[in-house]
Amino acid sequence: MINDLFITGHCHIRDNTVFLNGAVVHEQKGTDFPTFAKSVYQKFGIDYSKFFKMDNLSKLAFLAADLLLKGNNSKEERNIALVLSNRTSSLDTDRRHQESITNKDSYFPSPAVFVYTLPNICMGEISIRHQLHSENAFFIFEKFNAEYLHTYAESLILDKKAEQVLCGWIDVDNEKYEAFLYVVGKSGTFTHSIAQITRLYQNK
Amino acid sequence: MGAGVAITGMGIISAIGDNVSENYKSLISGKIGIGKITQIDTVHKDEIMVGEIKDVNPSLEKRLKFHENQNSRTVLIGCIAAQEAVEQAGISDINDVRTGFISGTTVGGMDKSEQYFYDYFDRPDVRQHITGLHAGDSTKKIANHIGLKESFVTTISTACSSAANAIMLGARMIKSGQLDRVIVGGTDSLSKFTINGFKTLMILSDTYNTPFDDERKGLNLGEAAAYLVLESDAIVDKENKNVLGYLKGYGNANDAYHQTASSDHGDGAVLAMQKALEVAEMDPSEIDYVNAHGTATPNNDLSEGRALIRLFDGKVPEFSSTKAFTGHTLAAAGGVEAVYSILALQNDVIFPNLNYKTQMKEFDLSPVTEVKKKPLTTVLSNSFGFGGNCSTLIFSKAK
Repeated sequence: MINDLFITGHCHIRDNTVFLNGAVVHEQKGTDFPTFAKSVYQKFGIDYSKFFKMDNLSKLAFLAADLLLKGNNSKEERNIALVLSNRTSSLDTDRRHQESITNKDSYFPSPAVFVYTLPNICMGEISIRHQLHSENAFFIFEKFNAEYLHTYAESLILDKKAEQVLCGWIDVDNEKYEAFLYVVGKSGTFTHSIAQITRLYQNK
Repeated sequence: MGAGVAITGMGIISAIGDNVSENYKSLISGKIGIGKITQIDTVHKDEIMVGEIKDVNPSLEKRLKFHENQNSRTVLIGCIAAQEAVEQAGISDINDVRTGFISGTTVGGMDKSEQYFYDYFDRPDVRQHITGLHAGDSTKKIANHIGLKESFVTTISTACSSAANAIMLGARMIKSGQLDRVIVGGTDSLSKFTINGFKTLMILSDTYNTPFDDERKGLNLGEAAAYLVLESDAIVDKENKNVLGYLKGYGNANDAYHQTASSDHGDGAVLAMQKALEVAEMDPSEIDYVNAHGTATPNNDLSEGRALIRLFDGKVPEFSSTKAFTGHTLAAAGGVEAVYSILALQNDVIFPNLNYKTQMKEFDLSPVTEVKKKPLTTVLSNSFGFGGNCSTLIFSKAK
């Protein structure tokens, strides 16, 4: 039963490089994250103006999810659950919000920034984009936790709460960022196991 | 029909009463709790109306025999409501079976943090409020107050559906045999944080809120705490417990539309209601009364109304929103309205949707506007949170 689950696709975004199923599909060295993110957006011909309002964490999650999920963009309702995780929560945007309210004399909090001061908002952006009315959960861990994600994804599919699960790690902290997302489903090349998830994550 | 989970106790404190019986009396006598804000000094005090709990903190502390100014108001009102629920359930030793506590809150100790934020450096006597800020701290303190030891205690913070989700999680843990008894609901005090936040979103009304009215201007914030005691059938049978009602169904769905607004057609709401009906193994036609989320914001009432029409295929049962009485009590709302749903079932009465005058242009739906006596078997209650977190609970009469 458990062996019936597979990793149907995986995507890494780090060091200004996009890897899709292990292969480099885009690279733009020497730019900051927002510029690099825009280059990914353009390269893959994404047409979604809300992207430009997103904070860095949501942009990163959105791009990785888009590359993985666009293959089956059918109108049909897809029951894909989301189980994401990271180390720094929404700290990158929390800092931005904090800066806007620190100085009593120039106090300018923006609802457009404030709304992103939760890590799970990036799952909301993915849900809105792909019309996923599905289960979702966001966890904070010290480091990438393959075991936890494995158990959670397996349980969601075996309990028939979802047909597929988009899992992974999505972390943005100042200039550092990393995305590793993968889809768990009933077909694919790699078996859905803790060892396999760990191997794919480490094969950066 | 699904077995359901027995409800053996309930407790509440809101702008319309300090306990269950006072709340009931207000609901059937049309006594609303909305007025000008008195307990928070805010620059918006002349522009907004709120549902404040009458007692000031020192009175609440006295009732609870707590030391002065050690706790957030969220804790104080939470303790009062949880204590009433436990007493009503006739629990003599709360640790005699595996008992859990699941509480919804959005503000936690924010009321005290904003009051003392600039004083922490100079005033050691208020520093207890630093650790009192986070949501889980209020839950832990309420759990201690009702005497729980080494129990399953957790907090749910999913905006305005928090308490409904706490009730749902508790019911699932009873059903799966992980707990024998669980106290579930939510607590939220008023704070500048929420007043200013909702003000920024421009969805606060400057007058009495008017759910489902065409000229509705937005919501009144409120504060409340409300809890239910859920117990397993084994305990109910063994101790021959008085059952107040059953939680038959529950559902939660993601609207997948916007960070704050609900979708125009109520996709998430329809899904949540459908899931709850599936769990309850019921047909929509079996619902006798809907206690709507009905916040009186232009967006919610349109979205929820459309969702009701879709779910009930045009044949929407009698419905009302009780938020004109209490204001929108955010994380506590699902708990408050769970208590009201059970009161409706116990007394065979539909509570009025006050302040309603003009039907909305978009559809042909009118809420119940007078106290209405009617035999009720099943009540559906909605709670929808920002971020598209939509929840539905279905209650049925005690056998």
